[in-house]
Amino acid sequence: MKWDIPSLEELEDAVWKCTACGNCKTTYDFGPPPTFGEICPAGVEFGFDGNMASKGKIAFARGILDGQLEWTEEFVNDIYRCTICGGCQNQCELDHKPVIPEIMEAIRRKAVEDGVGPMPTQKVIAQSLRSYDNPYQGPRRVRTDWTRPFKKAKNPIKNIMKENAPILFYVGCTGAFNLPVRNFPVATASIFQKLGIDFGILGENEICCGSTAMRLGDVDEFKRVAETNMKTFKDLHDNHGVETIVTSCAGCFRAMKKDYSLSDEYEDYMGGLKIIHTTNFLFNYFKQGKIKFTKEVPWKVTYHDPCHTGRHLIDYKIDEDGSQQWKGSYLGKNEDNCLYDIPREILKAIPGIEFVEMERIRSNSYCCGGGGGVMTGYGEWAVKNAGLRVQEAMDTGAQKMVSICPFCHFNLNEGSKRLQSDMKVYDLVELIDLAL
Amino acid sequence: MTEMPMESKVDSKITKKLCEIVGEKNATDYKHIRYAYSYDLSFVKPKLPDYIVMPTSVEQVQAIMKFANQEKISVTPFTAGTNIGGLCIPENGGILLDMKRMNNIIRIDEESHYAIIEPGVSHAKFASALAKYNLRFSWPVGPPSASTSSCAISHGIGGLSGRYGLNSEEITSMEVVLPTGELVRVGSCAIQEDAWHSCLPLPRMDGLFTGWLGTTGVITKIGLRVHPTPPILKVFTASTETIGQMASYLRTLGNYEICDDLTGVSWWLSQVPIPYPYKPKPEGVPEWISFATTFSWTQKEKEAREEIWKMVVDEETKKGSSLKETVYPEEALKARTQLPSQIVGSTKNYTKQGGAGISWPGTFTPVNKWEPVYEEWKKILIGRNLSPSVRVTNYRGVHYGMLRAMIPFPKKDPASIENARQAIVECLKVDLDNGGIPYKPPVDFGLEINKRAHPGYVELMKRVKNMLDPNDIMNTGKLAL
Ligand SMILES: Cc1cc2nc3c(=O)[nH]c(=O)nc-3n(C[C@H](O)[C@H](O)[C@H](O)COP(=O)(O)OP(=O)(O)OC[C@H]3O[C@@H](n4cnc5c(N)ncnc54)[C@H](O)[C@@H]3O)c2cc1C
Ligand code: SF4
Ligand code: SF4
Repeated sequence: MKWDIPSLEELEDAVWKCTACGNCKTTYDFGPPPTFGEICPAGVEFGFDGNMASKGKIAFARGILDGQLEWTEEFVNDIYRCTICGGCQNQCELDHKPVIPEIMEAIRRKAVEDGVGPMPTQKVIAQSLRSYDNPYQGPRRVRTDWTRPFKKAKNPIKNIMKENAPILFYVGCTGAFNLPVRNFPVATASIFQKLGIDFGILGENEICCGSTAMRLGDVDEFKRVAETNMKTFKDLHDNHGVETIVTSCAGCFRAMKKDYSLSDEYEDYMGGLKIIHTTNFLFNYFKQGKIKFTKEVPWKVTYHDPCHTGRHLIDYKIDEDGSQQWKGSYLGKNEDNCLYDIPREILKAIPGIEFVEMERIRSNSYCCGGGGGVMTGYGEWAVKNAGLRVQEAMDTGAQKMVSICPFCHFNLNEGSKRLQSDMKVYDLVELIDLAL
Repeated sequence: MTEMPMESKVDSKITKKLCEIVGEKNATDYKHIRYAYSYDLSFVKPKLPDYIVMPTSVEQVQAIMKFANQEKISVTPFTAGTNIGGLCIPENGGILLDMKRMNNIIRIDEESHYAIIEPGVSHAKFASALAKYNLRFSWPVGPPSASTSSCAISHGIGGLSGRYGLNSEEITSMEVVLPTGELVRVGSCAIQEDAWHSCLPLPRMDGLFTGWLGTTGVITKIGLRVHPTPPILKVFTASTETIGQMASYLRTLGNYEICDDLTGVSWWLSQVPIPYPYKPKPEGVPEWISFATTFSWTQKEKEAREEIWKMVVDEETKKGSSLKETVYPEEALKARTQLPSQIVGSTKNYTKQGGAGISWPGTFTPVNKWEPVYEEWKKILIGRNLSPSVRVTNYRGVHYGMLRAMIPFPKKDPASIENARQAIVECLKVDLDNGGIPYKPPVDFGLEINKRAHPGYVELMKRVKNMLDPNDIMNTGKLAL
């Protein structure tokens, strides 16, 4: 398989499009009334312009390409002190906007290639991926621990390798191994069963999607798992009747949709398959009137838009042939694929729910602080940042936060503990399951 | 690629001392961090600072300045570095004093219509706080993330300058740390700690710190007048064939003092983005287009303003002007009337095609000189394949005339940067010779100003500078003295 994953050098033209205007440092909307917010977790925590937003990361890229900056321990540290959340990207309007996260990841790829990245704590993840096929150093057999209650209740979940099903529920490593978010797959499978959906899981044969490796710049490891997965998925499609892959993890979803598509054989392997996030999948049932909420959930809630199901799914319109402005000109964005309205619509339909919004939402959502390898590399900072987001939620008067990403879920709950707050974070599937 | 920043000599003992003052997290000499402060949008050559320091209190600023003065280390104040003149690029290395962490809005006085803010408060933060009281400020068309106080002390201009003048005229009081580390105050807050309402009727000592490009002291708090926001906006849009006719229209309309912003732009500047390289204006399209914003409290007031505008149009038409009511391109109009603007602040309208660089000959030039200067600028700019993307604006009725060409260029290519630099400096010389004065001048401009200045002016500047900054440590070299 050939991969079109750009090197920093290949992105040089884009790097030189940045004016250093610093617009990316904060989010602002004229309104009226005008709203303002911090948008860069790294900037909030570390403050120097180099740490802040795409202005800073592009300065790093420029310095490397200029020959001015050489790797030092501190420099490598700073290229990883970024959640790759894309909050900054959303503020920029110049031609390099569509590739801002690519520039950030290309710097990391260069660091890995040069043998200096990722950071030691993150290397543990890379090693775990190689040894265990997941970033949590979890033995394979633990992957199915969450299915026990289903077995007990005599509603076992199909092993898709043994029993065909049209739907693969790709659980993801976080849901399977990270104890505090294990209710995720449980709620998802419970809803599927309540709705009579014919689905199966890969169980012990599931391996990591590769998102973490990609975010850390470890291309070789990403390619290894991505290629293995694509082959497995094709086999499931060709020989086990699978037509749809449903995933509850925003990171897995993004990886399969976006990162895998950088392979020249993506269509051959994934062409026949539909990849869909649980939220979207359930929304289709909801629209068809097949989800009928029967129980009340009497909570005042707010919703946190994860980066991976939000702005990372924006489609950027680029003038590819120069017919509209000039070749490579950024023409505009399309947010149709972003899961902004769907979770809100479902939430509002649950009886008893009172819904309130935070200030920074949708494409200007404030990252929980866990992405881009930060949760593993810089746990303390990740949790501190999550606390800022939890505080914002508390300021709305909400009692609970809802989201659709296990990473955000885990990190925000940790943030809440740090604040010694009562705020608890739920996944949307948990609420749906409660109301069904 | 741009020229490399010069290497610098970092002394770890100095870093250690700075860390002692502001804490380990807020001072550094790491090169990758310094590099991010070594360049800006303009043609000014990159130069590396040696240390970056982010103070969080007035006491820390004082301690830094005392130490820097004692060790004779240059100090360059910085908030966002978006001044388009290389004013935060340290000519001599030294300490880059990043003030962004001092970002509190200390008070908004909704009765007396002023606010007290710290230098790190951005237009975005200030605008959203003021809106809660239906108040506003004269926002520039720059990035919302940039500092309001830095705009004010640099004689910045914005969407209300047609009515109230420069943003520096809105300053009501200041707290400043001198280059030697002493804390001083100017304006009413100097007499009564809590009174921040006015610089007058005291001697105008705020002038020691405005327009000095961060070379005379570090502002730690500033009082600024703010204004109520009437609910009804009307924008008059008109076009003319020539700059002369546009100048006449803006002058006549300016005489009535009914507009908050009164601006004409050449066809090239009305394009989003400015064409780079130069492209001829299509036949039959007027060369000048104008917008004039006026706010009213009642419908009747708006109608009265419209009546005045019609009188102006009649007056101009009688003179034989080609003036016509016209449609201003929607995106460009939004960018100029919905301020601060995240879109225009991102520099998209200016440099999206040019490629990362922008500089300007930005000047105050009397209205009656706009025509001769513009005609010369056009020749210079088109001769260098650059768009004559020029803006003219009246401030405070017709008191000041602003004349500015926004010039984009690709930052990747040194020859293009130099081409733009030479064109801009040539334009500036023409303007100076016609009695214009550049604002936020890069060193290249400073040299041209001082060449023409009365010897007494230069001498006085030197004396004032020497009095405040005896070791010449603050933003060294920026005054081109
Ligand atoms: C696209 C674009 C459009 C713009 N349009 C306008 C416009 O319409 N009107 C306008 O006025 N400006 C405009 N600007 C310039 C600039 O954005 C604004 O003036 C802005 O408010 C400056 O803030 P800053 O934080 O970037 O200042 P900086 O560039 O960081 O600083 C400006 C100057 O102040 C000094 N300084 C900073 N902090 C202190 C301090 N605490 N004490 C003493 N000195 C200090 C610096 O050394 C420097 O000399 C524009 C810029 C861009 C990129
Ligand atoms: S990334 Fe975009 S918004 Fe940020 S400094 Fe560069 S040009 Fe400005
Ligand atoms: S991606 Fe997120 S954390 Fe990284 S620089 Fe941009 S806003 Fe900051």
